[in-house]
This record gives sequence, C-alpha cells and structure tokens, in this order.
Amino acid sequence: MTPLKHNPYNLVITGVGGQGNVMASRVIGNMLSIHGYRITIGETFGASQRGGSVRSDLRISEEIAFSPQIPKGRAHMIVAMEPAEAIRVLGELGNPDVKVICNMRPIHSVNVICGDFTYPSAEQHKEWLSDLSGQAWFVNTTEAAVKLGNPIFSNIMLIGALAGTGDLPLERDLFETVIARWLSADKVEKNLVAFDKGMSMVKDDKRDG
Amino acid sequence: MQVFGPNELLADVLKKDLCIGCGACTEICPYFKSYKGRTSMLFSCTRQEGRCHAHCPKAEVDLDELSSFMFGKAYEGSPLGSYQSVVISKAGPEMIPGNFQSGGTVSALMTHALMERQIDAAVLTDWKGLIPVPELITEPGDVTRFASSKYVTAPTVSMFNKSKQLGYKRVGIVGTPCQLTAIAKIRTNPLDREDFEDTAGLTVGLFCTWTLDARDLLKYLSARIDVEKIKKLDIPPPPAEVLTVTTVDDEIELPLSEIRPMIPRACSVCPDMTAEWADVSVGGLEGSPGWNTLIIRTQKGAELISKAEASGFLVTDKMPKESFEHLSMAAGNKKARAFRQAMEDGCLNNKDDGHAALRVSPTILKEMNIESGEDNVGDT
Amino acid sequence: MSAILKGKKGDQRLFMGNEAIARGALEAGVNVVAGYPGTPSSEIIESLSRVAKDRDIYVEWSVNEKVAAEVAAAGSLAGLRSMCTMKMNGVHVASDFLLHLALTGTRGGMVIVACDDPNAHSSQNEAEMRHFAQMLEIPLLEPGSFQDAKDLIKWAFELSEELRSIVFIRGTTRLSHASGQVVLDELPETERKAAFRHDGFILDQMTGSVISLPIAFKHPQLQEKLQKAAERYEGCPFNSYTGPENPDVLIITSSACTFYSIEAVHMLDLQNRAGILKLTTTWPLPKRLIKKHLQTAGQILVVEEVLPFMEENLKVLAYEIASEIGIKPILGKRDGTLPSHGEMRPDVVAGALAGITGTSVDQRSEEYEKKVNERVFFGAPARDLTFCPGCPHRASLWSIENVLQMDNRQGFVCGDVGCYTMGLSPSNFGTLKTAHSMGSGTGLASGFGKLDRFGMEQPVLSVCGDSTFFHTGIPALVNAVHHGSNMIMVVLDNSGTAMTGFQPHPGIEKNAMGDVAKSIDIAKVCEAIGAKVRVEDPFEVEATQEALFQLLEEEGAKVLVLKQVCALSPEKKWSKKFEMSVDTELCIGEECGCNRLCTRIFRCPGLVWDQESKTARIDSILCTGCGVCASICPANAIRKTPLAANGKEVA
Ligand SMILES: Cc1cc2nc3c(=O)[nH]c(=O)nc-3n(C[C@H](O)[C@H](O)[C@H](O)COP(=O)(O)OP(=O)(O)OC[C@H]3O[C@@H](n4cnc5c(N)ncnc54)[C@H](O)[C@@H]3O)c2cc1C
Ligand code: SF4
Ligand code: SF4
Repeated sequence: MTPLKHNPYNLVITGVGGQGNVMASRVIGNMLSIHGYRITIGETFGASQRGGSVRSDLRISEEIAFSPQIPKGRAHMIVAMEPAEAIRVLGELGNPDVKVICNMRPIHSVNVICGDFTYPSAEQHKEWLSDLSGQAWFVNTTEAAVKLGNPIFSNIMLIGALAGTGDLPLERDLFETVIARWLSADKVEKNLVAFDKGMSMVKDDKRDG
Repeated sequence: MQVFGPNELLADVLKKDLCIGCGACTEICPYFKSYKGRTSMLFSCTRQEGRCHAHCPKAEVDLDELSSFMFGKAYEGSPLGSYQSVVISKAGPEMIPGNFQSGGTVSALMTHALMERQIDAAVLTDWKGLIPVPELITEPGDVTRFASSKYVTAPTVSMFNKSKQLGYKRVGIVGTPCQLTAIAKIRTNPLDREDFEDTAGLTVGLFCTWTLDARDLLKYLSARIDVEKIKKLDIPPPPAEVLTVTTVDDEIELPLSEIRPMIPRACSVCPDMTAEWADVSVGGLEGSPGWNTLIIRTQKGAELISKAEASGFLVTDKMPKESFEHLSMAAGNKKARAFRQAMEDGCLNNKDDGHAALRVSPTILKEMNIESGEDNVGDT
Repeated sequence: MSAILKGKKGDQRLFMGNEAIARGALEAGVNVVAGYPGTPSSEIIESLSRVAKDRDIYVEWSVNEKVAAEVAAAGSLAGLRSMCTMKMNGVHVASDFLLHLALTGTRGGMVIVACDDPNAHSSQNEAEMRHFAQMLEIPLLEPGSFQDAKDLIKWAFELSEELRSIVFIRGTTRLSHASGQVVLDELPETERKAAFRHDGFILDQMTGSVISLPIAFKHPQLQEKLQKAAERYEGCPFNSYTGPENPDVLIITSSACTFYSIEAVHMLDLQNRAGILKLTTTWPLPKRLIKKHLQTAGQILVVEEVLPFMEENLKVLAYEIASEIGIKPILGKRDGTLPSHGEMRPDVVAGALAGITGTSVDQRSEEYEKKVNERVFFGAPARDLTFCPGCPHRASLWSIENVLQMDNRQGFVCGDVGCYTMGLSPSNFGTLKTAHSMGSGTGLASGFGKLDRFGMEQPVLSVCGDSTFFHTGIPALVNAVHHGSNMIMVVLDNSGTAMTGFQPHPGIEKNAMGDVAKSIDIAKVCEAIGAKVRVEDPFEVEATQEALFQLLEEEGAKVLVLKQVCALSPEKKWSKKFEMSVDTELCIGEECGCNRLCTRIFRCPGLVWDQESKTARIDSILCTGCGVCASICPANAIRKTPLAANGKEVA
C-alpha cells in the first residue's frame, strides 16, 4: 500500500442533484479499495435530488475507517462539478492549502432563475477559488462531455482530472477494472476516452497559485 | 397623475378595503384577477409602476387632471360636474321593449350606437345568480338582454380591457361612476406608452349613490328567496327606506337598515354621483318610474342624443326644476360627504411620500366648507 | 446480478449501510421482508427486491408500516425468518401492533430495522425510535460500523429465535446512506417450510393461539425475555473497547457516533488518554460489561444521537452500582456538554472532548474564515429545493394557488408527506399551510371542514399523494365523508412513491418484486366511500381550475384526483410530449403585463430568464416538454409543438 499524502486523505466531490455525484464517488472509492485503503463515503441525498446541492465526503485512510463527514476546514481536495458548489464547500471545508478541480459550467438554482440572487461571472468565481485554495484547476468537462455524446461523461472526466493531479493513486487500469464491473465493453471504451480526456485537461492546464 | 405599482395597489387599496371590484386592474396582467365580484392579487409583482395602479379609480385619482382631459378645464367641484344640458328621457318608439330599470334610455342609446356603427362593440353588465358578469357584445339586438340595474360591485372595466386585447378600436361602455373614473384614467394613457390607443368610443354613465358587495348580497338574499327568480332590484326614493326585489312571482321589500352594512367601504370615499367622466350620464327620475334623468356632457354625447331622438330611439323632455334641484343637492351632499370621509381616512391630498386615493384642489375644499386637506402628510 | 449478491465469502465490498443490512439479511437466510418506503431506510428493501427471485424470498412494499409489521409477523408466526423495515415515523404507525406482538412473542426470527434521521435531512422531525424499544420492552441493537450493519442482522435473528421475541435494529442516516467496506460471508441455502400452528396449548407460544392475554402470564414472560437479552448482551461480539486500560475519559457510544468518537480522539491525539466503548447493545444495557468499564474510567462521556437515551439508562445503572464502584461523573446531553438535537459530527464531539481534557482543536485562521464566509455569501447563491422540470405537482399547486387566491376567502391547503410538501416553501407558491404525518392533511381538513358552525368561512383543502392515500389517507376521507365535512381532498396521483424513489404501491400494476399486481383505482375507492369525485390531468390547467371552482361550490367532502406521472419516473424520462419554444417577439418579459411570471413565480427550472435579450428562454436540456408553461404565459409567447413518441415532430 503506497503511503497516502495525508492520512486520512479528505476528498470532496460536490455538485448539484442529478449530476452524477454518487456514481463518481463510488467509482473512486472502489478504485482506492483495490489498493487496500480504508474508505468511508458520506453523502447527502434524499430530498436534495430535487435541484439542491449534493456532496460526497470521501475519507481515505491507511488503517482505521473515518467518519462519513469531513471535519470543518479539513478537506485536501475538492472536485466540483459546478463552480458555486465549489465555493459552498470551501465555506465549510476549505483551508489555504486545499486543492480544487472545478468544472466551470454553472447550473443556476431557482433562486437565481427567479432573480432573488445573482450568479457571479466565471472570472469572478475563478478569482475567488484561486484565492481560497492552495492550487486550483479550472476545466470545462460539460462541454467536452457533450462533444463526446453525453453530458454525463463530465463525471468521468473529473475522475480523470483528479487522477491527473497525481495526489491519489488512481491508475487508469484500476479505473477500467472498476467500471467494467458495471458496464459493457463498448461503454467501457467510451469511458476510458473520457477518463483520458479529463487527465489531459489537468496536465495541460497552467496551474494557478 | 401619480402612478405606483402593484404593491402600492395592494397596500393602499386592496388591503385597506377600498377596492370596488371594478376590474380595471384585471385582464391586463396575470397578477390581478376578478372572481365573483371581488378582485384579488394572486402573486406578488415587483414592478414600481403598473397599469393596475394607474387604472384604479381608488388610487391617486387627480380630479383636476381628469377634468382637463375630459373637458379641458380644472375640476370645479360643482354637484353634477361639467355638462352641456340636463333633460329627462326614455326609450323612443323604435326601441325594442325590455326589462328596463327606468326609462330604458341606456339600452336605447347603446342599441342605437351599435346599429349606427358609432361603436364596434359594447361592454354591458349582466348577472347570474346575483354574481355580476360583464360581457362584450357586437349585435344591437343583444342590448336589451342587459336591461336593469345590478346593484352589486361589478368588474365591468375588465371586459373593456379585454376588448382592447381582442383588437376592438371603438368600444362603448356603460358603467357606474367608479367604473367610468377608471375608464377616464385609462384614456389619459397614464404610463405614456407609445403603443397606446384610446379605444373608448362611447361612455354612458349611471348615477350611483352606493352599491352592494356581490357576495354579501348573494348570501343575504339566498337565505330569503330563490335568487334565480329575481327580475329586478330597486331602491325607491326616500322616505321609503327599502330595497324592493321583484321576482317572477312576487315583490318583496327589505329594510335598508339590513342592506346598508353590505355597502363597500370604497363607496364612502366616492365623490361622484352622476358619472362625471362620461359622454352622457343616466339616472332615474324621482316620482316618474318610466323616465330617466339624462345629463349630456360632451359634444359626442350631444350628437348621439340628437341622432337617437331623430331616429325615434329616444324621447326627451325638459327637466322639471324641482327635480333638478333635488338631484343637485343629493349629488353635492355625496361629494362633500366623500371628501370629508377621505380626509378622515387619511387618503385625500396626501403630501410628501403619502399615497392619496383622491386629489382635489384645496380651494374647492374650502369653497365646500371642508377644512384643507393639507395636513395629510405621508403615512409611511 | 445485483451488487449485494455478488462476491463470495471473504471478498471485500464497498457497500452503502442499507446495502450492508440487506446483504446481512440474505446471509442470515431471511425469507419474508416487508416495509414501507421512507428515507433513510428505503434502499434495504429496494436492494432485496432486486434479488428476491434469485434468492427465493418474498419481498413487499406494504401499504403502511403497521401492515408491513403484520405481514412480517405472519412470516415469523409461520416459522420463517422475517424482517420489517421503515423510517422512524413508521415505528409510531406500527407501534400499536408491535405492542401486542411483543407480548404474544414471535416464532421464526423477526427483526425490525427502523432508521432514524437525526437533523431531519429528509424528514419533518428528528424524533427517534429507541424509546419504543424501552416502551415495548424488546431488545435493541445499534450497529456502529458498516461491517457490523451486515453481521449484526444474523446475530439479531439468532437472538430473536432464542428469545422468541422481536428484535429492533436502529439505523441512522449517516450509516444507512454512507458507504464503507464490508467483508462478505456465505449466502446460506435455506429451506424453510411455512406452517402456522394453532392447535397447541393456549399458553404455548410456539403452538397455541397467538394472543397477548392473559396479561398476568404474558407480561412477566416478556420481562423475562428482556432479562435474558441483557444476559446475552454481556457477551455480544459487537460491543468492543479500544483505548488505554485506565482511560481519563471513557467515551461510551453507539451507532454512527462511533465514527465521530474515533475521529475526535484522533483529531485531538488523545489515544493514550481516551478510550472508546462501542456499545451495540443499547437496550437493555449489559450491566456487568458496563460496570467493568465504568470502574476503570476517570470521567465518562456519552456520545449518541439525538436524545440522552443511553445516557439516562447508563445513569440509572451507575446509580444502582454506585455502592460498588463509587460515583462516576457521566457527561453528555443532560449537562449540556453535547446538544440534544441535531446530528453529531466529528467536530462537535472533538469540541466536547477538548473541553473535558483541556486540549484544543486546530481552527482555521480568522482571516480565512472571514474571507471564505464573504465569498460563500456572494459566490454560492442559495439552492432552494424545487419541483423538477415537468413535475405535475408544480402544475397542481399552481392551479390550487390560483383558484384559492381568486376565490379570495383565505382558503388554505393542509399538506401531507411527499415531494409536494415542498409546496410549503415560498419558492413553490407557499400553497400548503400545514404539514404533519402521513395522511394527516386530510384528517386536519376533515376537522377544519366542520368549523363552519363557529363562523369559519374559509375553504378547506388537503393534498395527499397516491401512496399516502393508501397509507392513511383513506380513513381520513371516510371520516370527512361520514361527518359531512366541507372540504376538498386533492389526490396528487403521480403513479409511484416518487419522493423515496418510485416504489410501487397498491395503485400500481406491479409489486416490489416486479410481478404483475392488481391495481386499486383511487377514484373508484373515493366514490365508493361516498365522496363526489372529479378526475383531471393537472397539465390541463384550465380544466383543473374549472373543476376546483366547481367543487368549491359543493357541500360536503369532495375529491379531486389530479393524475399525471412523475417527471422522474422511468417510463417518462427522456420522452418529451412537446418541443417548447419562446417567441421572443411576443414575450413581454419584465414589462407591465407579465413581469416574468414564468421565471419569477412559476419557476420551472426548464425556463430560464435571459439577461441579455430580456426574454424567457427554454433550457432544452432541462425542459421535459410537459407544456404547462404555455398555458400560464399571459402573452401566449410560449409555443408547444407536439412530438411523436419517437421525439420527432408530428407532421
Ligand atoms: C349600482 C347602481 C347604483 C345606482 N344608483 C342610482 C342612484 O342612486 N340614483 C339613480 O338615479 N340611479 C341609480 N342607478 C342607475 C339606475 O338604476 C339606472 O341604471 C339608470 O336610471 C338607467 O336606467 P335605464 O332604464 O336607462 O337602464 P337600462 O336600459 O335598464 O340599462 C341598464 C344598464 O346598466 C348596466 N348595468 C347594470 N348594472 C350595472 C353595474 N353594476 N355596473 C355597470 N353597469 C351596469 C347594464 O349594462 C345596462 O346596460 C344606479 C345603477 C347601478 C348599477
Ligand atoms: S378598484 Fe378596480 S382597479 Fe382598483 S383595485 Fe379594485 S378592481 Fe382593481
Ligand atoms: S358609490 Fe362610487 S364607488 Fe360605490 S359603486 Fe357607486 S360609483 Fe362606485
């Protein structure tokens, strides 16, 4: 078992109901399980499926299993499927050293749609995210996923991007092993393309901070 | 005229029980709707200025502005308003007979105007089981269907708004003074809209001392009679003190003391008895049930009357002096009472940020021996 | 093959707590499973229903929790192993039956899994079920890890069969809905034959008639069972202690709080000073085990959710043994060290532990705290829950709201439990004015509808989902009809228990195991009860409002069934009936005459306000093509083009 950068390593996957949060956290959890780490995933779903924020906390550790919630201010990595959700999670779990990977496609909430709240510009979000983290990557996975045929690939790209940071041992063949448990061969192929695409997004990205 | 938005209309009129249910704020947007004689606001609207407020006859009615729009001069506060002449009238021999309230003048004029194509359509008011139902008609033959007075709050102006949407360009309307105040406000293009068109082809006013809340009256009468059988309501002149209800098989009298509690609060601040913002205004003639009092106010009104007379739709005669004096006194009294009440309620000539229901020049108030309304400062 | 069937003995799997419980039930050889959906418990039966055919077990979604308990009890009385699942509210519903079942006893093993929802993530209260174990005098177990959640089920069945009593297992949201690793055991081959014996001696629990009388015999028998349970709990392998031999602070905890306690000790680096007693057997408490640990400890901190249930029972025990071990300070909720509401979290426990031990938790710098809070305020606009695009409830509540406002008599709607409870929020018109338990909206309306004699003139409505209708809505309607209450019950029939994930109910032609089932027609039931009934499609806005106006005119109890399938239902997803578009020429937007009625008030997420063009726009990804917005637009600017089933425009 390769030693972890932090023990426990606290990873958050966040987004909006319907974006496929739960699936992404399960794939990552299963990949890391194969390495022999202890995994606990805490997630908030239920009513939040209906347009609310969704968050999965992954606790990755070497010996003891940790709690399903990351304590305040103690995230190491935040993978956000939506920029406002990245900010929201930073509010609770952020710290000056946290890393952030953020898909920049916004999803407006009813409060924004109806005009009670305004939604900040992408530039503004980027500035804040960089300022509140130690390192931040901004990617456009929704766009790339639509090009690949389905917005749902966005998740897989984000897993690829997370792998690309090298913070956690998320090897490509592990990814293949895990998704092959659920998907047919032709779908596995497409998902691998998405994974690679995500990985390259982080590698090509000029790093902030 | 000051124009505010839906929130002010809600706060200053609906919530203060000053709404008369005329429907001027409805059929122009999805927020105000009229149902069973009452107007309600369905959802909140955030606009600062709106036609709902601009049209309302109980919000920021500047009598000087209305007068200069209609008659090109300031409001004088005279009991009967501006007019050319006052006569008595009734439907002429050419008019189809009907269940007229008094002389049938109103029905005759509308029939004639439709026949002569002076108007394309008419907004008239019917009721079903005492619930008022305004309708838009285009056939002269349909007018008599609406004969007789519905002594209830009616959303007649809503149908005028609708006629505009439907594209009618010259529409005749019969209405109470409050309804015609709304029509006059609408005609001034209060929001200065570029696409505005004045589609009021003819305005026929009805005299009015007060009306009754439709739902209250329904509740009261349905406990006593079969409302489907009602043919006519009437309020005979004093000292009768009754409301007579004529049904298909009976006529009953109900004491006004039981009826008066159903008068909407909005009527207490209404200074207009003779529909001052109409082309012609029509009322009863005390002691002569088959006749009407007819006030001819505008040139358009005068022309219509002479044509209707010439073609046998209307018969006119001289107004007896005694009746004229009686009418003036009654109208003057209502006016003074209303201004006094409005002042007392704090909705007359409000200053600063205050919202008034009525605005009238202080000189006139002084002439009428009502203390100046100048101390009505904003009640925010 | 479903996840919970995959894998052989010794394999490790990442399971959600509820899946672990389901797998545990299979490993225990369960035969009969019944329950009523309710977050956070629903996935247990969902997982089991998928493998029912493979494992040859019987699984059903019952009409309500009381009936679920009865169905499961029948399995037990016929000698089978049976399990019953529900959320905590369900225990209240089932408790009348359970009170009797506790006294009569069971035969085959019977386990009831009830899941609490501390913090009310998906509930309207955070009441807990543990006190029921005490009231009913039956044993309770609370798993403190994912592995325990699985393994405990088998142990519980064995205990149930040994005692011939129901055994309660308590789940909580953070265990049921979190995932962790679980090592699998074998799936046994069971062959049990069902038979109900009733020919034996009346007092023989295994062969005689099943009845809770005579109480003078049955009640002491029940209490003996409880004592026996306490005895078995002494050696329960799911209780464990980790920490120094003589800890300064002994944390006694259970359930998901075990995680928080472990983490708190870790955060404060107190491994040498603090010990953790993970107690799975929380009622009745194993006296000797407790005594052994209390003896060794300096102070005791009890960590549990939500109320001080364990704490109070521990204190009673501690008092009883005080003469032997002396008086031990027991901290917890009663002295305010920990709150008795909301859920525990690692930080909360760490904070309490830090206070007791004089240590401290690392905090974020004040500067970061200030900065991040400011940015959350501006950068993360609120995300109120709302109905999905194309949700029939939005259309239904829209019509109800319009009608009640127009009617203008301060009419109101008594709400119930389901997605439509969101109708309480201003984001969803705020149409609902009350919300209590299942079916209670109609019960309340039945009462309000009789208050006319005291001068109440307001129209009274209730809303009730289809599943709720069968659950407890029917008796409330019977009451209203029989007593001539003036009210309208609006049944929001979206063909499934949508809130908790489309479990079938008696109105649907399919059961939990996917077999064809007889469906029960709601409108016919209401007619048979004697109510005047109208059925409308809520997407037909005008007809729906017309029906409501008409029903408002009628005396007595009336029913309006608004029938339209949930937007999320598998049959509907991805199939648009209309292609929607906005004619930007006609859209009047913010101007007088509309002021963004669709995006500001109606608020379907499929409609977006375009800041640049100042008109509404359809988000074609989110829009489900239901067509309702076309009927609310005052400018007729929203167009609907019919699509054929294949998604192509109809020629
Ligand atoms: C509420 C009310 C109060 C009145 N109070 C007085 C009064 O105090 N003194 C007095 O002299 N006259 C009063 N009138 C007028 C009077 O009752 C007759 O309407 C008038 O004399 C015309 O008679 P007519 O025979 O020409 O009318 P008809 O030929 O019978 O025609 C009546 C017309 O009135 C219209 N109408 C009926 N009810 C309403 C309504 N609620 N809102 C708008 N239009 C309506 C119909 O569309 C119809 O065209 C009142 C009328 C109303 C509606
Ligand atoms: S008086 Fe007429 S315009 Fe004013 S609020 Fe009432 S219905 Fe609307
Ligand atoms: S008294 Fe005035 S406000 Fe009342 S109905 Fe008559 S005209 Fe309208």
